[in-house]
Amino acid sequence: MYDAPTPESPVTTETMKFSARNVHVFYNEAEAIKGVDVDILDKTVTAFIGPSGCGKSTFLRCLNRMNDTIAICRVTGDIRLDGQDIYDRSIDPVQLRAKVGMVFQKPNPFPKSIYDNVAYGPRIHGLANTRADLDGIVEKSLRRAALWDEVKDRLDTPGTGLSGGQQQRLCIARAVATQPEVLLMDEPCSALDPIATAQVEELIDELRQEYSVVIVTHSMQQAARVSQKTAFFHLGHLVEFGETSHIFTNPTDERTESYITGRIG
Amino acid sequence: MTDLSSHSARSHLKRRNRHQTMIKGFGMAAIGFAALMLFILVASLVSSGYKAFTQTHITVEVFVDPAEIKVDRLPRGGFDDVLLASLKTYFPDVSGRADEKALEGIISNGAQFALRDRIVADPSLIGQSVTVTVPVSDPFDQLAKGLVKRDTPEAQRRVSDREIGWFDTLDRADAISQPVNWGLITNTDSRFPELAGLKGALMGSFWALLVCFVISFPLGIGAAIYLEEFAPRNRLSDFIEVNINNLAAVPSVVFGLLALAVFIGWMGLPRSAPLVGGMTLALMTLPTIIIATRAALKAVPPSIREAALGVGASRHQVVFGHVLPLAMPGILTGTIIGLAQALGETAPLLLIGMNAFITSAPDTPFDSATALPTQIFIWADSPERGFVSRTSAAILVLLTFLITMNAIAIYLRSKFERKW
Repeated sequence: MYDAPTPESPVTTETMKFSARNVHVFYNEAEAIKGVDVDILDKTVTAFIGPSGCGKSTFLRCLNRMNDTIAICRVTGDIRLDGQDIYDRSIDPVQLRAKVGMVFQKPNPFPKSIYDNVAYGPRIHGLANTRADLDGIVEKSLRRAALWDEVKDRLDTPGTGLSGGQQQRLCIARAVATQPEVLLMDEPCSALDPIATAQVEELIDELRQEYSVVIVTHSMQQAARVSQKTAFFHLGHLVEFGETSHIFTNPTDERTESYITGRIG
Repeated sequence: MTDLSSHSARSHLKRRNRHQTMIKGFGMAAIGFAALMLFILVASLVSSGYKAFTQTHITVEVFVDPAEIKVDRLPRGGFDDVLLASLKTYFPDVSGRADEKALEGIISNGAQFALRDRIVADPSLIGQSVTVTVPVSDPFDQLAKGLVKRDTPEAQRRVSDREIGWFDTLDRADAISQPVNWGLITNTDSRFPELAGLKGALMGSFWALLVCFVISFPLGIGAAIYLEEFAPRNRLSDFIEVNINNLAAVPSVVFGLLALAVFIGWMGLPRSAPLVGGMTLALMTLPTIIIATRAALKAVPPSIREAALGVGASRHQVVFGHVLPLAMPGILTGTIIGLAQALGETAPLLLIGMNAFITSAPDTPFDSATALPTQIFIWADSPERGFVSRTSAAILVLLTFLITMNAIAIYLRSKFERKW
C-alpha cells in the first residue's frame, strides 16, 4: 500500500489548544477512559492510535462534547480549550462544536445540494449576512478541502451523488466552513480507497497550516505519514504520547512497541 | 474436514434440500390460499354488486296539466297524477283506483319529486309537455336485471303477470333504458333502493376523515418527536411507550363508548355528527401515527444526526432541519394507512349514532351524517331486494377508496425513499 517514510517535519508551534487532565469517561458503570492527560498543540496534527475498543474515539468525542448526546455517558476531569473549561456550565456545546469541527468515519453529507451542505454551518451560526458572503465562504471552504475544482460547476447537485473520497472532502469542507480552530477526524479514511485516502491525507497536511488537527486512525502508516504528535491508547489508558517519529522509532513503553510491531491490536 | 462424497454427507445434503423444498412449498401454498380468498371476496362482491352500477329508467312524455298543477300551490303536488296520466296514454284501458295505483307503481315513488323540482325551478313549463327520465321502482328494476325470475310462481314474486305485461309493453315502446347509475354517487340515502345513493355517506366520511387528520396528524407527529428525540429514557417514558402500543390494540368499539361518554355525554357535542366521528377516529389513528412516525424517525441514519450536531446544530435544528424531512415519507405512509383504517372503521361510529337514517348530505362537520361503512351496515340491514346489490356496490366503492389511499402511500414511499 501507500508507505511513505516517516515525515521528519518538526512541530511548528508550542501554542496549546486543548489540555486535558485526569479525564475519565463512564458508560453507565463501565469505565472507558481511565484518567487521560494530554496536551494538543495548535497547527499540529495529533494522531490517536490504538487497538479497537481502546477508547481513542471516545476521547476524541469528549473534545467537542459529542458524548453529551449519549444519555448513559458521563465525563469527569478537566478539558480546557484555550484555557477555558469546555464542560463548564457557561459553555454551550452547540457553540463549542462550531469552534471544534468534526469529520466522521463514514462520509455523511446531508442529502442536500453540495452548496447547502457547506452553507449549512455558516447559516445556522449566522456567519454570512448576504448571499455573496455565503457564496464566498462556500467557495473558500471547498477550496480548502481541495474539492472546488471538481464541483464548482455542479454546486446544486446532491452531495450524496459524489464519490466516497469526494464526499469525505465535502464533509471536511462543511466542517471548516464554520471557521473552527480545531478539526477532529474520526478515522476519516477508513471507508475510502487508497487514492482517495492519499488525497485526504495530503489535505490534512495542508489543513495543519491553519488548524489544530486531531485524527483517530487504525492505520499506523497513516499516523506516521500525517501526524507530528502521536498518542497511543490501550484499554482506556493513554500509554504513550510524544513526537510521532519518536513513538514509531523508539517507543519507551513495551505495549506501544508490541502494537506498532503488530503483536497486539 | 469431512469427506464430501461420503454416504452420510450425501444423505445430510439430501435431507437439507428436502427441507428447503418443503418450506418453499408451504410458503407458496400460503400465498396461493391468501390470493384465492382475496379473489373469491372480490369476485363475489363484483358479481352481486355490478348490477347496482346501472339503474333501470323509464322515459315518458308528461303533459304538465294546468288543471292539476297550480303555480301558487306547487308544493302541494298533483305530480303523481300527471305522471299516471302520461302512463295511461300507453294503457288507455286501465281504470279503477286499484289498477291505477298498480300502474303508477312502475315508476319510482321519488319520480314525482324530481318532476316537482323541475317545475319549481321553471314554472313556465306548466301547460307544456316535458320529457322526463326517471327511475322505475325497485321490483321492476330487479325484473329488468333478471333478478326477479319470470318463471317463479306469480304468488311468490313482487310483480304480477299483468304488471310484467305492462312493463314489456313499455320496453317494446323503447321507454325503458338502463344507463349508468350515477345516482349511486350523487343521491343521498333513501327508503327506496332505486333512489338510494352514497352522497351523504361519502360526504360524512370525508368530513370525519378531515377532522381525524387535522387532529391526529399534528398531535401524533408532535408526540412521536417528543418521545423519540427529546424525552428522557426513564420509567415514565417507558410506561407511556407501552401504553401507546397497547392503545393501538384496543378494540375500536371501546373508543366508541369513550366517545359516547366524553364527546357526546360530557362535552355535549351533536350526535351523529362527522365532527364527533372524526374525533373518535382520531383517538384510534393517533397510536398508529405515533408508532409509524417513531419508526420513521428511528430509520434516519445516526450519521445524519452526527453530521448536523458536528457542525454545531442544536437539537431542535437537527430534528426539524434534517431528521424530520428525511422521515416525512415514512410518516406520510403511516398516516395514510392510519386514515385508511379509520375510513373502514364501523363500530365506534355505530355507537355515536352515525348509523341514523339521514336523507341529506352534511354541509358541515356539525350536521348529522352517515359514513361509508355505516351506510353499508344500514343497507345490509334493509329488507328490499335492491339493497342487496347496492350493499355490494357500496363495499366496492369503499374498497376503491382504500386501495387508492394505499396506492398513494406506496407511491409516496417509493418516490421519496432515499438511499444512504
